[in-house]
Amino acid sequence: MAKFLDPEAYRAQSADWQLLPFRFERINGRVLVTNLVGEHLFLDAEEFGQLSKGDLPADSPLVRRLRAKHVIRESGDDLPVELLAIKARTRYRRLSEFTALHILVASLRCEHSCPYCQVSRQSSDKGAYDMSSETAAIALDSVFRSPSQNIKIEFQGGEPLLNFELIEEVVATARQRNETEGKNLGFVIATNLALLDDRVIEFCRANNVYISTSLDGPADLHNKNRPRPGRNSWELATAGIQRVREELGVDRVSALMTTTRSSLGRVIEIIDVYVEQGLTSVFLRPLSPYGFAIKTKSFAAYDVDAWLPFFEEGLDYIIELNRAGIPMVEQYSAIVLKKMLTNDDPGYVDLTSPAGIGIGAIVYNYDGDVYASDEGRMLAEMGDKTFRLGNLHQDSYEEIMLSDALLGPLEESFTQSAPMCSDCAFEPYCGADPTYHHATTGDFLGRKPTSGFCRRNMAIFKLLLDRYESDAFTRSLFQTWASH
Amino acid sequence: MTGHVSFDGSTASIDAVQRAAYRLSDRISCDIAAGEGSIEVTVHPAEPDADVEALIGELRNEVLDQVLRERIRGETADVRNLVLAVAFSKTGLVESDG
Repeated sequence: MAKFLDPEAYRAQSADWQLLPFRFERINGRVLVTNLVGEHLFLDAEEFGQLSKGDLPADSPLVRRLRAKHVIRESGDDLPVELLAIKARTRYRRLSEFTALHILVASLRCEHSCPYCQVSRQSSDKGAYDMSSETAAIALDSVFRSPSQNIKIEFQGGEPLLNFELIEEVVATARQRNETEGKNLGFVIATNLALLDDRVIEFCRANNVYISTSLDGPADLHNKNRPRPGRNSWELATAGIQRVREELGVDRVSALMTTTRSSLGRVIEIIDVYVEQGLTSVFLRPLSPYGFAIKTKSFAAYDVDAWLPFFEEGLDYIIELNRAGIPMVEQYSAIVLKKMLTNDDPGYVDLTSPAGIGIGAIVYNYDGDVYASDEGRMLAEMGDKTFRLGNLHQDSYEEIMLSDALLGPLEESFTQSAPMCSDCAFEPYCGADPTYHHATTGDFLGRKPTSGFCRRNMAIFKLLLDRYESDAFTRSLFQTWASH
Repeated sequence: MTGHVSFDGSTASIDAVQRAAYRLSDRISCDIAAGEGSIEVTVHPAEPDADVEALIGELRNEVLDQVLRERIRGETADVRNLVLAVAFSKTGLVESDG
């Protein structure tokens, strides 16, 4: 008896096809088709014509491609529906396990005076801008109320190491509580590393704490972006990176960069610094259009059209580095590619719908105010408290998570029902980002045809798909990034 | 300078025309009116020296795509709802009627 059925058994029995939900965009003479969960294929105009007219043969390579991507199904065949449901469930699984990232603002004080930073204070008054033990204890109650099994507590500032005692206290208490809570608990300190010392190193080693730092590229660029007494921010940051790598392990430190106008045109130099520092990922991200970033136009302002060539040149350079055997990941691309090439969703706050505010990440400010996102906190510093959900000392967990300040923007920005988004083939890769649209247009949804967020992300999606299709090496590289 | 284009109301819905106009609303604004068996659109380019005929051509193509999108939405609404209902069942995110 044969182990396998004859190939004829798998052949479609008729040409009675039914469409499954799909969306399409025309790109440079071809048509991108994405199914309900974002799996994609490109069709040429003739193939798309056959699909749209319902003029498909009983069997052909095109029919097999369309069936494989759940764009059509044979009448009466329920398997594609079941598979799509499983994939959709995987994609949206974070909804029932919300708020994995909890940001505690340990102190607003900072010894840097970065011109684009909205929140830091130059103050020696510890009492005025540091989070108290009492506030931190209530914040931890909120942290452990979150349904998410994976909990990451990230200490931010200002410079959180200026209130290191509080970090020690929170980590100790959280670990103790977690003996009964049983969460997958992790800790990150977002620091400029200028205050890194033996005590911090030993603490991070003992408690498995990760370090997230800032590295804007070459010394002159970094130090211009990040002034501090001594004008040695870059020297301290790179020395700190090396120390953490050597003493705690190479994976224990990662770096983020801020792209100011001075960065544009220097992306290769910036990436080279990351390579020199032994880092294997870089996050080419634009400056957010919030607060001082808008106000200090002479320092930081640039538009999407100025940023996109920076990103494209950087991405191509990173691909070539990998081709030459030097591992480097572009983080934003990796997030998008995971959404494009797998059924998983990394839950990146800016690229989810429903939006990630509050349910992906939440911010506890030093004074107990709770914000739906870090950008919401920055807006509040500029006088716009739209994304303030409440205060730990006055409001319960339920009042905070069910507040109109959270549910309103979540509902209004939902891309699956938003004009243009609901029909957009890129929607499964994109996100709602009500904070961006509120900051730039005054409403949570924004007008997509004129939205810088939409323009930037559409360009990135097209660029990634173009490179993915361009050659076998890049295809394989992107698949590796997607599976990270 | 403005332009004018007319769509056959039996082949394009007003919803499809509105969706198409919205997609191009970074470059044009439109007055859309239902006529007798037709949909009349007056096109106002955002840039005064824009090529109005080219923009109207784009609008025509976009309306065709929107008509197709409308057909796909209609034909697949049931299966889309079925997929999502199955996907969200037993997640605690949908309340049972029972």
